[in-house]
Formats: sequence, structure tokens, C-alpha cells
Amino acid sequence: MNKDILNQLPAEEQNAASKLFSAAETLKVSPTFRWDLETQLMEKYKTKRQPARGWYTKFAMNVGWASLAVGAVLLLSWMIRSLVPHISAATGTTPTPAISFEADVRVGNRCQGPLAVAHNYSVALTNQDKTGFVTLDEQQTIGELRSLAWSPNGKQLAIVGNTTGTGNIYLTDSTGGPPQPVLANSELGYLMDVAWSRDGKQLLTWSLQNNTVVYVMNTDGTGLAEFPLGMQLFGAPQFTPDSESIIFYGADSTSAGLFEVSLDTMQTRMISSLVEDESNYAWSPDGTRLAYIEMDRDLVKARLIVDEFEAGSKTVLATLPILKSSYSIPDSANLSWSPDGTSLIFDLGRSITDRAIYLVHVDGTGLIKLADSVYAPTLSADGDCLAYISNKQVFLLDLTSTTATPLLLADLPTGRSIADYRLDKLQWGVEISP
Amino acid sequence: MTTLMNNKTQYPSMDDAHLAQQARTEPEAFAELYHRHLTSVFRYHLAHTGNTKDAEDLTSQTFMAALEGIDSYRGTGPYIAWLMGIASRKRLRYFRENRLEVPLDAALQIPTPSLPTDKAAFQRLQLDQILGALKHLSQDRAEALILCFFSELSFTEAGLVLGKSEAAVKMLISRGLQDLRTRTSLVLEVDYE
Repeated sequence: MNKDILNQLPAEEQNAASKLFSAAETLKVSPTFRWDLETQLMEKYKTKRQPARGWYTKFAMNVGWASLAVGAVLLLSWMIRSLVPHISAATGTTPTPAISFEADVRVGNRCQGPLAVAHNYSVALTNQDKTGFVTLDEQQTIGELRSLAWSPNGKQLAIVGNTTGTGNIYLTDSTGGPPQPVLANSELGYLMDVAWSRDGKQLLTWSLQNNTVVYVMNTDGTGLAEFPLGMQLFGAPQFTPDSESIIFYGADSTSAGLFEVSLDTMQTRMISSLVEDESNYAWSPDGTRLAYIEMDRDLVKARLIVDEFEAGSKTVLATLPILKSSYSIPDSANLSWSPDGTSLIFDLGRSITDRAIYLVHVDGTGLIKLADSVYAPTLSADGDCLAYISNKQVFLLDLTSTTATPLLLADLPTGRSIADYRLDKLQWGVEISP
Repeated sequence: MTTLMNNKTQYPSMDDAHLAQQARTEPEAFAELYHRHLTSVFRYHLAHTGNTKDAEDLTSQTFMAALEGIDSYRGTGPYIAWLMGIASRKRLRYFRENRLEVPLDAALQIPTPSLPTDKAAFQRLQLDQILGALKHLSQDRAEALILCFFSELSFTEAGLVLGKSEAAVKMLISRGLQDLRTRTSLVLEVDYE
């Protein structure tokens, strides 16, 4: 029985879970089968390691395969050069080189503001002329990076890192100074996410060891307070704009989805039972609307909802088919608003690194597929630029042009390679109105 | 050569990723990996097929493919996630080719000597109901439950197999357990005394 899994489930689910484990444990491998398969595997191992042919035969075959491979690569590269990279969208007109766009980006006329990238355990900011990234954590003090979030004024970046099981929160400024700890070696456990209050004075976080509470603290590290949720939190808690409640992706004993919990009364409200990912909800820049994506498995559709939070009215902005494969539906993620609150972007796909990016106008005038085989979209402060990751590189797309080709910004920072963990995220520092 | 497979303690403290590197040239290392993960793979296939014969066949195919492809395992993720990825693809191919699913058969016919007959019967009933109910869950929830409870993968490892985040796997598990409790309330809520 995997006690780690059991311990991470809420108490009311542990009974059913332990019964499931017990049922699974009754399934035994027959000794005869175990022996037969062992024998077969070892026979195969011997065959696999024996040279099947003379060296000259193998050499000739290798030369043949190599020639074929070179031919295929040349053909493929010719085909790729003749196609437009990534762009599948807006119009059918011929793309034009983005020379002026690139120049504008480099001198800072376009795509202003710092762009943060998290890759594996490294966090970096774009350099001044946006020709590359500068790693913030050269000394590797941050540890296991879990989350990052720009302050509402776009001037400070909060970073969650964990070292040997203790959670740390760091702040750095938009010029890329060394991250300074505001919560160091805390006893809260392994910290997962960080979020800012709208006034930029408080931070919200939670830990893997106790996912039924959230922690709120001042940005100078003082005033740490614990708030019980009475339910399980799975990811990405955010303050409501008035900072009196939080919303998060989680589950109680009977249902799962997107919830709101008041920090004063601990009163709980389910916002949607069909939200299925921790990066599928986002507040509008003016704080009046909450956008989220519902995955309706019965109707096999994804719905982008805009919820006038105080008024309680909801509008379905867009729907997309979520065609089922043999056993899953695609995920949507990275939902965010344009800084002027007129549009939303998100990505959708089955693979974490191979998705399509969509843009939806809030006035209901359309849903546009901006790019394929990409992920991690984020919009610049001026709303002109979309940044995304494709094939370990970061690209910028000029949203003011319908014929633009993507501009290669830089390779992802190499960072530290992590065996079983991936955090590929882009986030543009954007100032929002207080 | 088969005696090598029985030497389970040669690499007691070596992690899977290093063992997999060694397994490219050392059969003993592959044998150790086989011993560590045979039950997980077998239970995964049995939970899906409900049929011992097919589960054994798919388990064989999975390990044969793992042996064939061990050079391609780069150590960039957990070995068990890589192995269960192979198992998942073998299962999908099986269900494409064999639409007919048969009920749970002799999985529990291997006797557990210390178990009273009535308790064994209860276990059988419980397992029948659970596997039956799993087939009525949405497939990704059932897959997450099987990976975490039958194959005992962590949420992170299951996420790598499913191509989902750790949080998304937790959500699938939570919703899957709720669905399962609804469908098997007697079995999952009542303790056998």
C-alpha cells in the first residue's frame, strides 16, 4: 500500500482508497508465469546482445540507413523552410519578415516589460535588449522551483523554492537582482504556489504536507497567518480582488472543482465543478470578472466562461470540441487576460509541450487559433506581443499584424535538469490598475 | 541464465534510473528492474482486461518491449513512468484489436492459505465490483486510479504517464474515488469484520 498517496488524500477519501489498495493487493502474479517470463526475457537478452551479422554486413546496413536518414533530413528541412513556422491562424495572406517588429522589440518600443521564464529548476528574466535570458539563481540557492508570480505593479517577482523539504519564498525586482528571501527555511513544509494580493501587500501560499490550509503573510515576511479551508487544495490559490476570500482548485468530500472560501468566515462556495486544472482561471485586470475554462465531459466541449463575480452573471465566451482519445480528453491551461481586459488567451492540447494557443475577444467577436505545437502563452504589458515556448525556444508573436512570423527571442535557459519534474512557464510583468 | 533473474539482491540500493543504464549491458540489472516492477505492470493489465491470460500476455509484451527499448530510456524521467507508458500503449493496442472484454476470471484463484473462505469470497466480490465499476468511469479517471492504486505510482509518476500535471492527477483521483464510491457503495464503505 502506497502510504504517501493515502496520506495526500482527504480523510473522507482514505477509507475508500485503502479498500482500493487492499483489493489491488489481492491480485497476485502466478509463480509459473513469473518464471516463464523470466526465462523468455533472459533468452531475448542473450539474442539481443549477440551480433546477428558480420561486421561488414552491419557496416553496409549502417551506411545505407545513414544515407536514408540524411536524405530524409534534407527533404524535411526543405519542407520546413517552405512552410510558415508555427502560425496556422488568422489570415491566408503571405507572411512577411518581422524585421521592424524585431527592431522595435530590441530597442524596447514594443513588448515592454520583463518576461520571466521558469524552466526545470531555473528562473530567468529577459535581458535589456531582449536577446536572451539572465538566470536569477546562478548560485542555485532557490532550490526546487515550484512557482513564480509578478506583483500587481509588475515590479517584483515572487518565487517559491524548496530546499531539503523546507519552503522558501524569494522576491526579486524586474531588473533581475539576486532573489532575496522573505520566508526562509519555514516549517510550513514543501511550498507549492505563491500569489499576490491586489494591493501588492500580501502573499498567499500553501504546502504539500498540509493542503487543507493556506498561509497569508506580508511581503516583508511578517504576519504569517494560517487559514483552514475545511477541504483539500490541489493548486494555485488566488486572492479575490478584495483580498477577503481566496479561490482555488480543490475538492471536498463530495465534489471537486473551483471553489471560493472566505478568509473571514471560512464559508465555502463552489464556483464550478467542471474546472479541471489549476491554471484554468484568471481575474480580469480590473478585478470585476473571473474567467475560467470548464471541461464538459458529457457534451465533450470546453467552455470559456466569464463570470461577473459580484453580479453573479455568467457568459459563455467560446466553446471548443474536446475530442476524446482512447482514454483522455485534452487539457487546457495558462489562461490569462490581456492587460486591457479585452481578450483572453489559453492553450489546449494533450501533451504538456505540444498544444495550440487560442485568443478569444471578450466582446464575443471570435476565437482565433494563434499557433500550433507550442505552449505556455503570456501577453506583454502593451498587449501587442504573445510570448510562448516551442521546442525549447521562446518566441514572440506580433499580435498587431495578421501576417507576422514569430520572432525567436532566445533558447530556454539550460538550467538544472530534473528527472521527474517540469515547470515550463512564461510570465510577463504587467502593471494592473489598483 | 535464468539463475541471474533470481538474484534479487545484487543491486539493493541502486535507483531505477542507474539500474536502467546498467541494464543496457548487464542482464542482472534488467532482472532487478523486472523483479521490482512485475507486479505493478501485471496489476495494471489485469485491472484493465479483467482476464489473467490477457494480463499475462500484455505483461510479457510490456517487458519484452522494455528490454528491446532499454537503450532508448534516457533517464530523464522515472523508469516506472517510462515502463508504464509502454504498458499503456500495449493496452491500447490490445483494446483496439480485441473489442470484447471478458469478466474477471481466475485472478483470485491463487489461494491465500491464511484467508478464511468467506473472507476470500468477500474479497472476490469486492474486486469484481471495483473492476466492474472502473469500466464505467471516464477513462482518464479509471486510468489514474489504476496507475496509483493498482500499480502504486506516485501522483507525479502517474502524471508523466498520463501527460498531466500532478494537480490534475489528484483531481482525477478525487473525482474517480467519488464516482467509485457511488458505484460500489457497499463494497467501499463497509468494513469486512
